Amino acid sequence: MKCGFCSFFCPVYQEEKMETSVARGKNYLVKQVLAGKQEFTPEMADIIGKCLLCKRCAANCPAKTQIDRVVVAARAQMVKEKGLGAIKNFAFRKVMANRKAFGKYARLMQKFQWMMPTTEGKIKHLPDFVKGLGKRNFPSLSKTFLRDQIKPVYKPQNGEKPKMRVGFFMGCATDFVYPELGLKLIDFLTRHGVEVVVPEDQNCCGAAIYFSGDVETGRMLADLNIKAYKDLNVDYIVTACGTCSSTLKDYQKYLPDTEEQKQRYEEFEKKIKDSTEFVIDILKIPPQDFKLRKEFEGKTVTWHDPCHLVRYQNIKDQPRAILKALKGIKYVEMPNADMCCGMGGSFSVYHYDLTKKIAGKKMDGIKATGADIVVTACPGCMINLIDNVLLNKMPQKVHHFLELVE
Amino acid sequence: MLKESLISEFQKIVGKDNVLTAPEALKAYSYDGTTSWVHEPDIVVFPTTTDEVSRIMKLANAEKIPVTPRGGGTNVSGGSVPWHGGIVMAMTKFNQILKIDKENLTATVEPGVVLQDLTLRLAKEGLFFPPDPQSFLGATMGGIISENAGGPAGVKYGVTKQYVLGVEVVLPSGEVIHLGGRTLKNVVGYDLLHIFISSEGTLGVITKAELKLNPLPQARKTLCVVYDDVSIAGEGVFRVLENGVIPCKIEMVDNWVINRIEEMMPIGLPKDADACLFFEVDGIPEVVEKEAQKIAEITKQYGAKEARIAPNMDEANKYWLARRAGFAAVFGKAKQVFAEDVTVPRGNIPKFVKKIRELAKKYDVEIVVLGHAGDGNLHPAVLTDPANKEHYERALKAVDEIIESAAVEFGGVLSGEHGIGLEKQKFMRKVTEPAVINMMKGIKALIDPNNIMNPGKIWE
Repeated sequence: MKCGFCSFFCPVYQEEKMETSVARGKNYLVKQVLAGKQEFTPEMADIIGKCLLCKRCAANCPAKTQIDRVVVAARAQMVKEKGLGAIKNFAFRKVMANRKAFGKYARLMQKFQWMMPTTEGKIKHLPDFVKGLGKRNFPSLSKTFLRDQIKPVYKPQNGEKPKMRVGFFMGCATDFVYPELGLKLIDFLTRHGVEVVVPEDQNCCGAAIYFSGDVETGRMLADLNIKAYKDLNVDYIVTACGTCSSTLKDYQKYLPDTEEQKQRYEEFEKKIKDSTEFVIDILKIPPQDFKLRKEFEGKTVTWHDPCHLVRYQNIKDQPRAILKALKGIKYVEMPNADMCCGMGGSFSVYHYDLTKKIAGKKMDGIKATGADIVVTACPGCMINLIDNVLLNKMPQKVHHFLELVE
Repeated sequence: MLKESLISEFQKIVGKDNVLTAPEALKAYSYDGTTSWVHEPDIVVFPTTTDEVSRIMKLANAEKIPVTPRGGGTNVSGGSVPWHGGIVMAMTKFNQILKIDKENLTATVEPGVVLQDLTLRLAKEGLFFPPDPQSFLGATMGGIISENAGGPAGVKYGVTKQYVLGVEVVLPSGEVIHLGGRTLKNVVGYDLLHIFISSEGTLGVITKAELKLNPLPQARKTLCVVYDDVSIAGEGVFRVLENGVIPCKIEMVDNWVINRIEEMMPIGLPKDADACLFFEVDGIPEVVEKEAQKIAEITKQYGAKEARIAPNMDEANKYWLARRAGFAAVFGKAKQVFAEDVTVPRGNIPKFVKKIRELAKKYDVEIVVLGHAGDGNLHPAVLTDPANKEHYERALKAVDEIIESAAVEFGGVLSGEHGIGLEKQKFMRKVTEPAVINMMKGIKALIDPNNIMNPGKIWE
């Protein structure tokens, strides 16, 4: 049965209205490849590339087809057969896979970013001639990266014996764009009696890399990250980035080649917690005990579900519980709150026009709420939401939920 | 393969972005909702106006290129598969809701509008389009009209043909005609409108439709009624109706389906029940309340073991989710499923269900029943595996006998809502009078003398 219900849920199909955009078409073509009736042509690469991996189709599939795994596997096979291509090869293997090199290049970019005009909200508008190359607006990089201002160990602020020991995973966007988010999370945790350790040799989570099909580098990063936390004796590993938490958890799903790897990745998964679930499910802070920061008093807020929280990790109730209970703000649910913002990592670089159209629908949802603040918990979504709020000349501000609470 | 010059002609009509010829794209337009029949087109075009459709048709007719209109591709009888290649005319971008007229309770839509999008839009106005094919998430209005689709709500509201007041059609010649109108009553000459409804895209391309709407009911209530015997459940259906309650849905799931649902998503259906009926009533709150109680009384009086009125929407939604999941469960449990679409007069449901059980025994195959019991459209499904040749043969025989018994012995029809397409051609020939088929062929030849519209379907 090929019911095609995915068409209703696919943000890309909703814009393009073509069978090649939707899960059913992609699945059929991948099956043709498996049957030896179709090659990985450039056209095929384009079709398989045009997926946000938002998982809305998979979540709503009556036959429970795991189309995300089909797409990732097809991309992996393409990389195996055709290679990564010069740009991705350089970006993934020479830069992102090497923490020090990534920092170095990011710093280099940071030095030159003054050439690009900045608007508010840390979004750099690329000069038109660069945009002509199909590149999206980029966030401006922080003056000081998180790695340069962070300590290896943070003790609980009350000076007492820690009630648990947690490893902090920063992730690239927090490191380079939103370092204050990392500091905010550490401050919040240590205030609640948690000891936080930050291993220096942690790496990129690997999302952009293995979701693009470079599972080899993805595996390397997985192993490096697992090693970084191995001897730290932490109860949990916590991150403020929804994409990072889901990516670390899902090493076991997308990457294992051997039984040994599978077991190791599964062990690692058990320790990973997103900040939203950690504060509610593990620290068990009652939602009404969260305190609003003064500057947000009297505001109306709405919640945007990052794909990597709502569908990859089934995290949707925890952040809503906090926002609904926070005294001093009004919470309004957004229509289609779980609809992808259109970012999709490198998707937005290759298909920026589509990203803007998909984000446009998100913007309609935001406008309908009348909210002043859009709250979310993924720096990736934040970058795209801020970009599109500005492009649409909307008054809303976008914040991570950690920024709202004391 | 089409000539390069022709491809550029089509590009001139609809624009380069709206013409697909890459082999990968053609593969993606080679199937419908089943992939039981696969055939690639030579080209896919996406018109967005009546004029574009007309110009495409003129060109196709002059060159005698087959044209297969296609909406969401959710149909399940092969209707939108381009069996003779040629052009797939994809209507998905021709998708505006042009007008919602609250005074006259009508809507004017383009063919590519997806039913669920229409439903959501109409709900804002307090209106709805009653026919509810269960492919509503992907099915487009053009396809729904061409297949004369229906769904569970058929028992109270009927099917698509009762809700189409008029259509704009582009004929194979490229000529644009208007059939029907915007009024409920219309007896101006032959009722040609209804020849196009359910013509499965073999006569022309629907480019606009005038739909009849209903006000959205204020309240709904759901019941789950449990039976020890599937035939008694079948009887329950007409007992409720003859006692004066017309529910908007009466759906049946048998023991096999109940157990698969409970495995997938336990909601507390009794696993030892032989069958369950799900009823839904809709309307004014006070009436709905009374009707639900009445159904509980009547079903118990006529042999139901238990009748549970869902106390809230959450529980009601659970039952309907389970009913929909049942469909997925059937398809997930076998390599191949022959999901039949036979429909019998309601009074014959008990006898027909008994017959299905006998056939399952006779051919030693699993035949499950989950369907729209309220209108006799039972969807018996035969589970098999083409790799197991011997089993497959038995399954095929069982299918033949189900269809023949339904259509001949029990006075029903071989398709209630899926259409003939490619799937049911052989049965169509068997159970339809030759004079009737000849009449259909004659109509087809009159409207489409070059046989370019969706060739290879229905009687061929």
